[in-house]
Amino acid sequence: MFDFSDLLDLCVTASASGCIYGLVALAYLLMIRPTGIINFAVGEWATVGAFAAFTFLALVGLPYILAIPAALLLMFGVGWATEQLAVRPLVEKSAPLIAPILALLAFLVILRELVGLIFGPDQFRVPYPFGFRRVEIGPFGGSPQNFFIIAVTLAVFAGAWFFFERTVWGRIFEAVAINRRAAALMGINLGRVTAFAFAAGAVCAGLAGLLISPAFSAHWLMGLPLAIQGFSALVVGGVGRVEGALLGGLILAFAEQLTQRYAPIPSGFAAAVPLTLLILFLMLRPTGLLRARETR
Amino acid sequence: MLGRMPQALSWVAAAAALSVIPYLLTSYHLDVYRLLLLWIALALGYNFLFGVAGQIAFSHFAFYGVGAYGVVILWSKLGVPLPLAAAGAVAICAALAFVVAVPATRLEGFYLALATLAFGQLFIVMITEGGDLTGAAAGIQRYALPPIFGHKLTAADYALVIVALLLCTFAILWRLDRSWFGRACRAVRDNSTSAAAMGVDVARIKIAAFTLTSTLAGAAGVVYAFLGNGIAPTTFDVNFSFQLLFMIIVGGLGRHLGAILGTILLYLAPFVLEPYVGHHHPLVYGLLMLGVILFQREGLMGILDAVRRRLGGVRPVEQAP
Repeated sequence: MFDFSDLLDLCVTASASGCIYGLVALAYLLMIRPTGIINFAVGEWATVGAFAAFTFLALVGLPYILAIPAALLLMFGVGWATEQLAVRPLVEKSAPLIAPILALLAFLVILRELVGLIFGPDQFRVPYPFGFRRVEIGPFGGSPQNFFIIAVTLAVFAGAWFFFERTVWGRIFEAVAINRRAAALMGINLGRVTAFAFAAGAVCAGLAGLLISPAFSAHWLMGLPLAIQGFSALVVGGVGRVEGALLGGLILAFAEQLTQRYAPIPSGFAAAVPLTLLILFLMLRPTGLLRARETR
Repeated sequence: MLGRMPQALSWVAAAAALSVIPYLLTSYHLDVYRLLLLWIALALGYNFLFGVAGQIAFSHFAFYGVGAYGVVILWSKLGVPLPLAAAGAVAICAALAFVVAVPATRLEGFYLALATLAFGQLFIVMITEGGDLTGAAAGIQRYALPPIFGHKLTAADYALVIVALLLCTFAILWRLDRSWFGRACRAVRDNSTSAAAMGVDVARIKIAAFTLTSTLAGAAGVVYAFLGNGIAPTTFDVNFSFQLLFMIIVGGLGRHLGAILGTILLYLAPFVLEPYVGHHHPLVYGLLMLGVILFQREGLMGILDAVRRRLGGVRPVEQAP
């Protein structure tokens, strides 16, 4: 017989991993919108976030309420430094757009190998902030971490939406996204916008890594799969709108989890679902599900 | 790069030198040498795709894998005679590359990289989940090349097959680069709109360049399959396509000699770096690549050109992007 409560539990798990993909997608989006740069190193940023969580929680022994801000602060610095080292010098030389993208690819490898060199090839268990048990909210049941992931992600997206729609800084970002040259002529400091975009992207990606680290452990090679899934989410949802990132992440995660649970194929093939979706969307609807608003 | 020697003569000299070396090496160094030659063959093709045709794709190792898996499955699982299986595997690669290229080359800039990255990952998923046909995660092991005309090929003999593959790859790309096709590729790379205005069929050039270089990677894969008489999914990981990218950028994008030098440098670097960074030599690749992009856009070839100019040599004929 079809187990309905199992499906509801699956919804919680899928929503949580969809939120993670959405956060990674948001990280890409924050950088692509104003600069046009696709930064593949977001996966490695997530790795750094996970290891920062491990370091602060398990090695230093900070309480969770302090460890998260500490890790996010570190991520802000990492993002800022990435922009200063790998992007700004090239933008100043007005190199073609591909140059910073390649430089960031090099940065990806450097970050990954540094983490591998420092921490070694083992998996590191990051403690669960709320323990490991089953919580039920209405008909939905799941681990407290999954509900925490969903709550934090919703808060982040609400914040991002508020930022872009209601604050001057958000309007500045949008102005740069719509027309860099015109924005610069209006007196907007492009360098500062780019630096903030990278710092905010790193915080988002680091948050994603930090949030999944209790369930999946921190591992030096965890970045690339996250980078690919986050990117697929972005392509599915559309680069134009903040909500698209979350929507894409959820669609991807549900497709993946439902296939894994119900489709009559070996579960290893579920890994093919996001990749297939990515290819299909790139071919058939490269703008994603949500189109950008008309520019006013 | 060939000096004033007649070209044909230098090709013969290169072939002779490359063919003699395997018989002078110990078995360990022979393994290193054979794999190096394969990497150079791959890098030359990849350099043509990215450096000359301007397409950044991460499917090169997937096609290398299609060639290797293709020939082994056709020959050892389906019983096709070896020469036919080898030709069949290359044909499969060409067909598959064409099917991928038609929609993929429509994508702008880095989106092609992502689509081909997804394709590469999809290939890994397929061969890992392929059950008995692909041998799953363990791959297909323990088959052996049959004796050819009653002669059992030694490791050094097989190096000659690789030398032949490398020289054929190089000759094809060398000729194409100097033909209308190479010029059309460069025109499309630099500005596809103006290339189209000059009468270049942009879509066709892009598809041809992608299909051709991917097929060459497949041919290299066919040769790889009998290098160690075993294939497994880990050999065709997408990360190796990144490495290929680093090699050609460090060497000097769009230059054949650059691809060769970059590959030699990055392929041999781990042997030197092992005591210092262990298995984390990609760290050095990343630093080299970052350095090249930031400070020396033309890579090793840029340095070589500068040295030549200082010594009053000839100006390079090839054009860096």
